[in-house]
Amino acid sequence: MKTFAIILFVFMCVAQWVVPGKMIYDSESVVTSGTVYNFKTQPIDPSDPFRGKYITLSFEANRIDPPGDHPWQYNEEVYVTFMQDSAGFATPASISTTPPAEGAYLYTKVSYVDSGLSSPVGFELPFDRFYLEESKASEAEKAYWEAQRDSTQVAYGVVRIGAGNAVLTDVMINDRSIVEVVKAMNRTPE
Amino acid sequence: MELPANTRAAFLFLKNEYLPIPVISTTPATRMSKQILKELPELVRANVIGEETAQRIVAYYQDQPNPTTNRLLVVFGILGGLLIGMGIVLIVAHNWDELPKAMKLGIGLLPLLVGQGIAGYIVVKNIQSRAWREGCGAFLCFAIALSISIVGQVYNIEGNFGRFLMAWMLLTLPCIYVLRSSVTAMLYIVGVTWYACEVGYFSYNFMEGSRAPWKYGPMLMLVLPFCYTEFILPGIKNNFYYFISWLLVLSLTVCLGTFQGSDQLLMMAYMSLFSLFILLSEIRLFETQRVLTNAFLVVGSLGIMISLLILSFEWYWEDIYDHSTLHALAGVETFVPGAVTLMAIALLFVVLRTKLPAAINLKAYAFLVFIALFLLGIKMPGAAQLLVNLVVLVFAVYTIRDGARKNHLGILNYGLLIITGLIACRFFDTNFSFVLRGLLFIGVGVGFFAANIYMIKKRKQSA
Repeated sequence: MKTFAIILFVFMCVAQWVVPGKMIYDSESVVTSGTVYNFKTQPIDPSDPFRGKYITLSFEANRIDPPGDHPWQYNEEVYVTFMQDSAGFATPASISTTPPAEGAYLYTKVSYVDSGLSSPVGFELPFDRFYLEESKASEAEKAYWEAQRDSTQVAYGVVRIGAGNAVLTDVMINDRSIVEVVKAMNRTPE
Repeated sequence: MELPANTRAAFLFLKNEYLPIPVISTTPATRMSKQILKELPELVRANVIGEETAQRIVAYYQDQPNPTTNRLLVVFGILGGLLIGMGIVLIVAHNWDELPKAMKLGIGLLPLLVGQGIAGYIVVKNIQSRAWREGCGAFLCFAIALSISIVGQVYNIEGNFGRFLMAWMLLTLPCIYVLRSSVTAMLYIVGVTWYACEVGYFSYNFMEGSRAPWKYGPMLMLVLPFCYTEFILPGIKNNFYYFISWLLVLSLTVCLGTFQGSDQLLMMAYMSLFSLFILLSEIRLFETQRVLTNAFLVVGSLGIMISLLILSFEWYWEDIYDHSTLHALAGVETFVPGAVTLMAIALLFVVLRTKLPAAINLKAYAFLVFIALFLLGIKMPGAAQLLVNLVVLVFAVYTIRDGARKNHLGILNYGLLIITGLIACRFFDTNFSFVLRGLLFIGVGVGFFAANIYMIKKRKQSA
């Protein structure tokens, strides 16, 4: 009985380390070797009971006019590649049901299909959360809304994309990290 | 002759004051033993037992482990594990962005290492202490949640809460068996239920509606071997058993609705589930000393009566009187209601092998009655609705009779409450005159008084 418990214990420990370990390995490999893209965004501020406060980002580059006449289905697994537009922001370059042979691509799912063959296809961007220190989340949202009112300011997420996976590494407002913006806001009295 | 209370007290006081008291050291263990030990000097003085016997009784209780202290230790162990685990989760959720990434990950994963270390020590040293096992299980459960959350937080991984709950619970599952921890089993049942609700109720998607959490069933079943080996096989019915059985029953009741087809068929699934619970409560293995500790009986019976009262309204039968019901019957939506009904039928046969049909709680047959009414309702909804009222009345009378037979005031009043519920429901949708409704209520009120007085008198006579 004791031997069985020990075997089960070892199995339990291994499993409990494999899950976070695999998550770290996957994310870290994207962070170190993925391609950087800037996604234009609009954040809001909810919270998660386990991971704390975050801002949710709503990206503009989440739909593409698909080439060809493939009948796209809701929830279909797809591979999307991106390129930079003239302003330096990410914009979808291609969508397919098979992974590209080389280069950075994102594995995701179709989130929206319009009727008609060549109408735009929407897809999920699975990096819509940016976690912040509890005290800074609502300040960050304020900073964002100020940036929205002021049309000269631009908010975007810095995303690294590897072979299928993506990691959001920072959210920038006018090329400054949102964390830095909030710190500066806290230093200057209202 | 019985002395008046104050004279008797004075007499006892004098007796204890002036008669020599044998010297016996008493270190009470439980309320029961405390009482016995308190009586010992008196028993010795009255020559009921000798001095030596008294000393032996004291020695016996001194050698016994102290269950009160043990129970307190277990409770504090569990509370400690839970609070520390949840506290760390909250502190880490603050997200200290001054800390470098590696340190954040290290701090987030450290509780897992500590929890596993303690669990390993308990397993290798084969420590039997319940407080340690339960406390460690509760702590480890939250440490696992933390280990997944911290990675999600550091790398801003998108949150699919349903998938997170599933991964968390599957990693928690081995802790139940490694530590033989009932609290971890309870947390697991709660977590699996949360997962089913998250997927089935809370994540409504406008493109595809809500999805049925099919993994809920197998995940819940994975905890059953623990319940079997820990409670059923050795025949232990302690507080942990009561809590776990309540959680299991409530979990099934809450989550059955996530497998929603049409409302009509969902009602069939629920009727079969509640009948299944009552049938389980009829099996010797699940019998308990008190009614309230038998979750199967309480939830099953209440569920059936509430469902029947709902069915006594017109709207359910209005919807059923429709060809779409027949289409639904032929579709995939019948899978869950059909499976639950088949299980109830199978269990009914099992119970009938050991008991006579009349000896089983009448409410166990509710699902068969409902199926008959359902089939009748497709053609004649009015007749089915009327018959539901009759069925409720029959169940109420049966319950009152059962209460009287078992000399149980709770069951008796429950039966009367069912009748009151039925009348209250009809109060809203019938054309009876106010006078008639008033008379009905007075009648039931008198019934309450009469039945209770009759019962109390009967008890006094037999005492």
